[in-house]
Amino acid sequence: MALFQRPHAPHRPLSRGHLIIACLLLMALALSACASSNAGGASSSEPIRIGFSITETGPQSAPAKFDLQGYQLGAEAINAQGGLLGRKVQLVYYDDQGSASTAVQLYQRLITTDKVDLLVGPYQTDLTSAIAPLVTRYKMAMPAMAANLEPFSGRYPYLVQSITQTPRYMIPVIDLAATKGYKTLALLIQDTAFPRELAQGIKQEAAARDIRVVFEATYPADTNDFTALVLKAGAAKPDMIIGATYLADAEGIIRAARASNVNAKLFAFSIGPVEPEFGSALGSAANGILGTTLWFPTLKTAGNAEFVKNFRARFGRDPDYHAAMAYATMQALAAAVKMAGSLDQTKIRDAYLKLDLQTVAGEFKLNSLGQQLGYQSYVLQWQNGRQELVWPPEVATSTVQLPHPNW
Amino acid sequence: MLQLQTYLLLLLTGIMWGGVYLLMALGLNLIYGVMKVVNLAHGDFIVVAGLLAVTLYGAFQAGPVLAIPLAALLFLLVGLAVYRGLLARVDTAGPQGELRTLLITFGLSSIISNIALLIWGGQYQSVPFFQSSVRLGSLFLPESLIISSLVAFVLAFAVQFWLIRTRWGRLVRATAQSELGAASCGLNTSRIRLLTFALGAALAGAAGALTVVLIPVQAASGGFVTVQAFTLIALGGLGNYLGALLAAILLGVIEVSSSYFLGASAASAMIYLIFILVLIVRPQGLLGQRGRI
Repeated sequence: MALFQRPHAPHRPLSRGHLIIACLLLMALALSACASSNAGGASSSEPIRIGFSITETGPQSAPAKFDLQGYQLGAEAINAQGGLLGRKVQLVYYDDQGSASTAVQLYQRLITTDKVDLLVGPYQTDLTSAIAPLVTRYKMAMPAMAANLEPFSGRYPYLVQSITQTPRYMIPVIDLAATKGYKTLALLIQDTAFPRELAQGIKQEAAARDIRVVFEATYPADTNDFTALVLKAGAAKPDMIIGATYLADAEGIIRAARASNVNAKLFAFSIGPVEPEFGSALGSAANGILGTTLWFPTLKTAGNAEFVKNFRARFGRDPDYHAAMAYATMQALAAAVKMAGSLDQTKIRDAYLKLDLQTVAGEFKLNSLGQQLGYQSYVLQWQNGRQELVWPPEVATSTVQLPHPNW
Repeated sequence: MLQLQTYLLLLLTGIMWGGVYLLMALGLNLIYGVMKVVNLAHGDFIVVAGLLAVTLYGAFQAGPVLAIPLAALLFLLVGLAVYRGLLARVDTAGPQGELRTLLITFGLSSIISNIALLIWGGQYQSVPFFQSSVRLGSLFLPESLIISSLVAFVLAFAVQFWLIRTRWGRLVRATAQSELGAASCGLNTSRIRLLTFALGAALAGAAGALTVVLIPVQAASGGFVTVQAFTLIALGGLGNYLGALLAAILLGVIEVSSSYFLGASAASAMIYLIFILVLIVRPQGLLGQRGRI
């Protein structure tokens, strides 16, 4: 029974005109349904369509454009090798402007209106988390470049991780510190999702390597002044000051440490030193600072040199780690579809989980939850105004310069 | 003894950060004081001036000494253009007028930040200047903070002097007190408003070109800067210059010391707690006059 039934609702029979309009509408609906089911039907001559949303505009667009170009080059490489299942691939993408709600609408559209055959993820963990329930509801297999483990904790079985997982970002820094015999660590953590998960990984690895965390503090993302924080960290006299940071706060910490003459044998940050702007903003103060990266142009991963060369030729700039991760995502997608032998999403998801593939970003290998186990992280150091890969030693482009001299 | 030194360092650092915040709020305060216009594009002026300083540094290795006057001059012109092109064309009288100017400057903020995004991209940018420290006994004080806060205090006093001692300043204050009264005495109030807005914009430009050595800026961070600056002048009493100075020092010292003693997350909460307290106890701000808002 209707809750809000009006007691004297006007009751009129439908006029002939209304009936005709209603019939016409029904016919139109039926026709359009036929048309779109034709479009969605797998005919062997039409390309396989890969859908995604990407942040082409807005404050987050700089790294996302590298993702987009990585995807584009990856798709072109698939086509150059004869496509997938005998068909070409084609990218279908929209601009999500970095907004999670827009991304949800766009993936809804990709799945239900565009009826794309395959999905890959957007830029950023936040957006991936937002679309995860939708993608799972439609049972679409989707590799996503989301570093945090939250979307891959079993709730969304059709999502697989195609980037290094957050807790592993700074493991090689701790490894390097352990070989240098550094024993104590001050940890500065930006109070947002990615750095928090990162800090857990650092603390676990430090405990395993017998390194003590002598100071730990979180700070809000909008912190301007790091003087107090750095003074307190310095008062604990740590061997190392490590920041789970982004770019602006990493710069702020270095500025404050230098100005307040707070010294340590090693300064390392998760995100910050990997960006070219870190060097241009800090000048000589950047030298000696360590950072992590997920990929480097000189790495001897499968096909890396060719990828760098092709990327430059195609887009007129050097690829960064985002581009490499996106390109590798396309490599994994191609391998999974080939292994599945069809566009059946469950078979493709199972293929992703079974995959052990050498990509430009390293070994793509997942656990049963879809968490990335193969991809690594590397340590870079600013030396004479340039980024050099310094750890692990077998891939280093330069020897690491430690300890950091006093300011 | 060591403790005492730390406290002294925290106090000095706090006062200097206060100077930086004051610098970022000066232009906003001047414009509000005279025109009762909250310029929501203020933060975007600061950010774009900062990004310009980054570009100047990248292209010619030019430091803030060159970037500050250039940015100030450029934004003086921007201020003139915005006033002539937009603000002078709407009826700004009464509460309706305030709403209109809010909407106009909000739209302007959106346009500026998106153009900046197209030109400079979304990455945080900064320049490597004044990075060393000045030694005072056993205390190390950051050079960038000393210079920024000195410039801030000098500019603040210059504006104050200009307002109190010069003929133009008196005209501006007369217009601020009563536009109708000033106009009926034969003052060209629209010229005075134009001048004030342009000067406020120029102050924002100078602030941006200088503070970029301390705080990395990003094309879209203007809105946050506006909120910070607005909090400060509201705390001091909207349009009150001495109040803004007081509020700035208070905020700086509270931020730095509570960040040391209570942790950085508590520090940002403290500032807004104090803001709320002041709004409850003295809604007109620390030195504001009742009934101005």
